[in-house]
Amino acid sequence: MPAAPSPKPGHRADDAQLRSANVRTAIVLVSIAAVFFVGILVAKLVGDTSTGMTVLGAAVLLFLVVAIGRNLRK
Amino acid sequence: MSTIPHDHVAGDDHASEHGHDHHPSGIMRYVLTTNHKDIGTMYLMFSLTMFFVGGCFALTIRAELFEPGLQIVHPEFFNSLTTLHGLIMIFGAIMPAAVGFANWQIPMMIGAPDMAFARMNNWSFWLLPPAAIMLIGSFFVPGGAAAGGWTLYPPLSVQAGMGMDLTIFAIHIMGASSIMGSINIITTILNMRAPGMTMMKLPLFVWTWLITAYLLIAVMPVLAGSVTMLLTDRHFGTSFFNAAGGGDPVLFQHVFWFFGHPEVYIMILPAFGIVSEIIPTFARKPLFGYASMVYAVSSIAILSFIVWAHHMFTVGMPAAGLLFFMYATMLIAVPTGVKVFNWLATMWRGSMTFETPMLFAIGFLFLFTMGGFTGLVLALTPIDIQLQDTYYVVAHFHYVLVAGSLFAFFGGAYYWLPKWTGTMYDETLGKWHFWGSMIFFNITFFPMHFLGVAGMPRRIPDYAQQFADWNMVASIGAFGFGLSQLIFVWALIKCIRGDGAKAPAKPWEGADTLEWTLPSPAPYHTFETPPVVK
Repeated sequence: MPAAPSPKPGHRADDAQLRSANVRTAIVLVSIAAVFFVGILVAKLVGDTSTGMTVLGAAVLLFLVVAIGRNLRK
Repeated sequence: MSTIPHDHVAGDDHASEHGHDHHPSGIMRYVLTTNHKDIGTMYLMFSLTMFFVGGCFALTIRAELFEPGLQIVHPEFFNSLTTLHGLIMIFGAIMPAAVGFANWQIPMMIGAPDMAFARMNNWSFWLLPPAAIMLIGSFFVPGGAAAGGWTLYPPLSVQAGMGMDLTIFAIHIMGASSIMGSINIITTILNMRAPGMTMMKLPLFVWTWLITAYLLIAVMPVLAGSVTMLLTDRHFGTSFFNAAGGGDPVLFQHVFWFFGHPEVYIMILPAFGIVSEIIPTFARKPLFGYASMVYAVSSIAILSFIVWAHHMFTVGMPAAGLLFFMYATMLIAVPTGVKVFNWLATMWRGSMTFETPMLFAIGFLFLFTMGGFTGLVLALTPIDIQLQDTYYVVAHFHYVLVAGSLFAFFGGAYYWLPKWTGTMYDETLGKWHFWGSMIFFNITFFPMHFLGVAGMPRRIPDYAQQFADWNMVASIGAFGFGLSQLIFVWALIKCIRGDGAKAPAKPWEGADTLEWTLPSPAPYHTFETPPVVK
């Protein structure tokens, strides 16, 4: 996930770096929230609920696995 | 602060540039604050207030159910009370309490000076009071408050009056607040850890909140989407869930529980984190199986996304669906069992003492495990079909959320009050509070298992004579439980007023997380120079 801090984890970077890393992380997280909000509406509007729910569920699982996995290495 | 042209992001050197530690005083301190400790305090106070509001609703419900027949409230109002009790306790009491703990503790536990987005943190909190006012104010609009249950199932929610619109808007606002809070928490944990604080050195409370925040970001938009569709069905002629227009009411249940089941874990995972801090401290041993605890919490979070339909076994599903959701639900018992085992193993041969936080943690462990077992019973499709919408379900989720989340939060409050206020809480009052809560909780909710198995339906203001005795016992217990909570308020006020022994920096011998390296009470600004964790 691009939410990975640009300051090296475990080392506090200077303020500008930290600020931009924070903003970058927030943008990624907001976009995920937006995808879920819009996704649930679109899933119903396109009429194929099971496909929509499957895509959402898979996205959630993948997101969690990747996000946690990447950070565990650090 | 208002002169800063951008969001006040932690890492700005505004405060340290001027070398000041001053802050506004009086009410404006709290209105304008960007300090994580002030905001944490506001969350906790808001939560406590809403806990008593929701508690009053609960006591009215129990007063009505004290004996068969209609005594005190009209059935419509009774339904509004059960609906608002659920919504207020979940969105107004438990979730804000967890966020309050996160605000106070996460920066101090990871060695950060504040939350990543300090102004957004202030905004997240101040969205809550208007939402609460809308929810409670809905009692006074034509048609009264929402009365279809906290799950807002159509068709009732499509047909209800203006109170439902207020509820939907309140949920939107609280959802936005939760998402902002989660973004803040994840960003803080990922980017602002002290040097040397690797992910696998994070205190377990921080880990549980990191995973909770991910859950919130994934599911709150789904709830927001579903109530938005409800709103358009009500006012804009759509038919997402309106069967009269070709919509599918059962779809709402699927979407709602896709949010609703992870929501259960959103409420319990921070409680797991608190208990995982308390037990090692009072057992004077490191947490047994730290890594397995992290993996167990992650597994619980992932599994929570694939079990939602166990809440709706009775709507009609293919047998394969029933089997899948039954087995998937039972699978959650495995990582939960790992956690319970690790807590017990941490206590095993520890030098345990039983101060109030530890009593609440052990009470949590005992009662939450009981709630978990009744959850396993309900996971079995054939049994669930019998027990659906009975008081057995009411008993189950109160064992999980009251004896689970609430007991852990009380334990956490007593554990960290010395750090927050600089004053030791009154141990005698704490013990009275614990034993009062423990005894009256069981008097209230244990009989509900019997009532449920005997077939008493939930959300009904009247009942058959055969249920009278246990309802009377439950009602007496509920009033005892409610009164016991006043002891907590008393203990809290004493602490805030400084009426007690001065707290040392580290009042608990076995505590070893970073916040205990700070003086008590924790200074207004902490860790502006990051500590080094070895």
